[in-house]
Amino acid sequence: MKPGLSPAARWTLWLVSLGVLCAAAAVRLDPQRVIDTDILAMLPPEQGSTAVASATEQSRDAFVDEVLILVSGEDGPATRAAAQAASIAAANHGLKPDATGESLDRLLSVYQAHRYTLLDGSQAQRLATGGPAALTNDIATNLASPAGMVDVFGSDPGGHLAAFLGSLPRPYPGFLPDGPFFSALKDGKRYFLVRTELQGSAFAEQGSRQAAEAVQAAKAAAQVACPACEVSYTGAPLFADAARRSAQSESAWLSVASTLLIMLLIAWVFRSFAPHVLAGLQLLASVLAASAAVILCFGSIEIITLVFGTTLLGIAIDYAFLYFSEYWFGEAAPEKVMGAVRPGLYMGMLTGVAAFAFLLLAGFPALTQFAVFSVAGLLEAGLLVVLLFPVSLTRTPQVPVNAAVLWPQRFIQAACRAHWRRAVLPIVALLLAAPGWLMLHTSDDVRSLQNLPPAMLATDEHIRMTLGQVPPPGFFLEEAPDLQQALQHEEALFAGVSAGAPQLSNLGLSRFLPSESSQQRSLAAWQKVFADPRALRTSFVHLGLPAKLADRTLAEWQQAPHAPFTSEQVFTAAPDLKRFVIADGSRLALLSTVTGGTDIDPDTLSAYAARVPGAVFVDPLARVAATFQRLRVRSTWLVILGYLLISALLVWRYGRREALRMLFPPLLAMGLTLGALGWLGEPVNIFVVVALILILGLGRDYAVFLREGGARRSPALAVSLSALTMLFSFGLLALSGIPALHVFGVATLVGILASYLSAPLSLPPAQEPA
Amino acid sequence: MSLRVLTSIVCLCIATAVSAEAPPAGFAASFVQTRTVPNFDTPIISRGNMRYDKMQGFHWEITAPYHYLFEMNGKQAHEELPDGTKRDLDPDQTPWLAAVEHIFISALSGDRAELLAYFSVVSTPAADGTHLTLTPKPGAIASAISRIEVEESAPGQPRHLQIFETSGGHMDIRFSPLAAKPPS
Repeated sequence: MKPGLSPAARWTLWLVSLGVLCAAAAVRLDPQRVIDTDILAMLPPEQGSTAVASATEQSRDAFVDEVLILVSGEDGPATRAAAQAASIAAANHGLKPDATGESLDRLLSVYQAHRYTLLDGSQAQRLATGGPAALTNDIATNLASPAGMVDVFGSDPGGHLAAFLGSLPRPYPGFLPDGPFFSALKDGKRYFLVRTELQGSAFAEQGSRQAAEAVQAAKAAAQVACPACEVSYTGAPLFADAARRSAQSESAWLSVASTLLIMLLIAWVFRSFAPHVLAGLQLLASVLAASAAVILCFGSIEIITLVFGTTLLGIAIDYAFLYFSEYWFGEAAPEKVMGAVRPGLYMGMLTGVAAFAFLLLAGFPALTQFAVFSVAGLLEAGLLVVLLFPVSLTRTPQVPVNAAVLWPQRFIQAACRAHWRRAVLPIVALLLAAPGWLMLHTSDDVRSLQNLPPAMLATDEHIRMTLGQVPPPGFFLEEAPDLQQALQHEEALFAGVSAGAPQLSNLGLSRFLPSESSQQRSLAAWQKVFADPRALRTSFVHLGLPAKLADRTLAEWQQAPHAPFTSEQVFTAAPDLKRFVIADGSRLALLSTVTGGTDIDPDTLSAYAARVPGAVFVDPLARVAATFQRLRVRSTWLVILGYLLISALLVWRYGRREALRMLFPPLLAMGLTLGALGWLGEPVNIFVVVALILILGLGRDYAVFLREGGARRSPALAVSLSALTMLFSFGLLALSGIPALHVFGVATLVGILASYLSAPLSLPPAQEPA
Repeated sequence: MSLRVLTSIVCLCIATAVSAEAPPAGFAASFVQTRTVPNFDTPIISRGNMRYDKMQGFHWEITAPYHYLFEMNGKQAHEELPDGTKRDLDPDQTPWLAAVEHIFISALSGDRAELLAYFSVVSTPAADGTHLTLTPKPGAIASAISRIEVEESAPGQPRHLQIFETSGGHMDIRFSPLAAKPPS
């Protein structure tokens, strides 16, 4: 910056730079999705097959927009009326009513018209082998059985269509389709399930809020219609809404608490209003610039980035403290302050930006956002100090040196004296930390990123248990050159699963659309049954059934279409079934799963898949955990590489011996932090790695500030104020309800404390204050 | 599938359910079943016997023109088919069994709530007993059955049962009570 730049030019330059950044962000902003609560969107794209990536997304999309409202009561008609009222109210508030009932009706028409194509393998084998006698036996059984007294489908004397329909997968095993609802009678209570779907994005603020308002309206409407009825609801959009509100509220109180503590500290030390204004302006500008940079790069900002952003308050004020300390309590005249702090400020910014910029290489959207946020915030904070502070603080300050100013210098000076404690204490600390290193454990569970309300989780579990809906452990993917081959692969897979684990229910497209070869096999079996009309009549008469019934049955066969029904017919009737199909360029894949068990071993399912060509079993949660693990390891290496780069910068600036001395305190702080985490039983995850990056960065900053300024009053004060503000902002995260932020807070709390206490070790012993 | 069983069992338990004050221990009868299929002018007639009680559960047997047996006790059920094949019905694969068993047991114990959850029941005194008309409430059953009519000679003793299907089909079952079989 040119020294001769006028104050007006400096303000204009700063305002224009920030304004251009914000304007660009406003253009790029997705107004429907300003704050994104979709935690999984922070993960990197799936590795390997694009079909797996699409299937993961599609399987997720299949339920993320779903909102379930369960109405129960002892009075059936009143409960039905309440469900009706809830459905209307939910629809009026933007939740689309489920169209499963209509789809089922249309599918029934397709199946009725093509009922001779629907025999499964064993039925086809039996009819093909037994011929007319087998069909006669089926018809006689259906007529005699108390289960066959009512022929719902008009012309299904043998009950074969009913058997196919009865075997279709049911989304809620305990419930049956009942008009626009699914209903059940359990423990004397009538249950009606109202299935709805959010039309916007479940994880966007507007969408999740709309869902929350809609279920409240639905509950109110249901209770007006039936005051005695109970209404409960669940769905991913409702969890997203709760997570967003919780994070926003947490972010707000963390910001207010850390800001208040920082303001009190400033007031206590500087006894002046100017630092409040300048520090406040700097914090506001740095958070604004950081958010704008993230939105400019990504179109929206992740909720977790925003929460982490509150911690930037501490980083951004760091450079201001360096300037304030020199201006208020240093030796330099006001116009020389910038020159006095410039080496420390620039070196601190350079190493800080270098450390955070390395996170851009992690390939992890969340870390990339943190990196962009932090780099932009640091640069804005530094720019504001360089441009505006020298023209804002021009008069010689009149604040007397007080105790709050003197004790940091006394501490640094005392710690720099050549004394046995200076060598022994770090060793003792490391010895105490060492057992903690052995107790460290890692956790890459994605669920630790969320803090879901226990009451909502309990309601969700209650509803899922009532519905008999056990979430599947993952999904199968059957890849093939075309749909027919994929359907055959899926049928082979399901046959294997049914033989090995008959308690499980298979869910996939082939359950609704048998492959063409399966349909042809069914038609061939019927052809054998009806090939000899005389034998058919004889068989009927033999069992005492009217011969005319044989003629009628034969006539129905002759009039029915003898061609398989197509995927187009099925998709037209039930468009939702397209969700099972993953189109991947020249190839195609089918998505399927199994339900019905709470302890299904993914390895067993993988083994079933391994027996079928082109089939794999995908466990999304395990894949996400593996991704987190991969990124944790990669980030750790990036930290090491970043630290090597910083080491090179320090060697270049201070020489090898001094650089080594300056590197020791941050490494000591890192060792103590890891030891404390081990002792406390906290897991090491990707967020702890981020915390370690921060701890190393702070330790390095303190070393640079002290090395540049010596154990003088102003750098000692700047380092102490920085450590305190960091503790206020980052350490407060230890109180967060979000597990990932909590462990981040614990790590930074310990790490910053250790960094500050070990900072004097970066100076040579016995160095006297200048 | 559940609809069919549920309907038939509920019908057979009607008399017991509506006489909640004095539920009988069981019922045993022979019957003649006449089934009329839409667009088919020849009625299909079969004969058999049935019984139910708390200990032995539900027994439904067709004896002519061919043999068929259905027995259910608790959630377990099995069939003997006209060709002699025997098969157990797996409760996990036939979830309707649980619903049927629940309603059946409730009816036997005189619990009208289950029945009234599915049907509106109108009871009319007749010269030789009671005439009951069951109209399905809106829901799945109503899409298959128009109404059910039962004549009983005494509480828990059905004499004549008719099921009118929405498809136009009709089921007529006439019972002739048998002497109660001593528990084996």
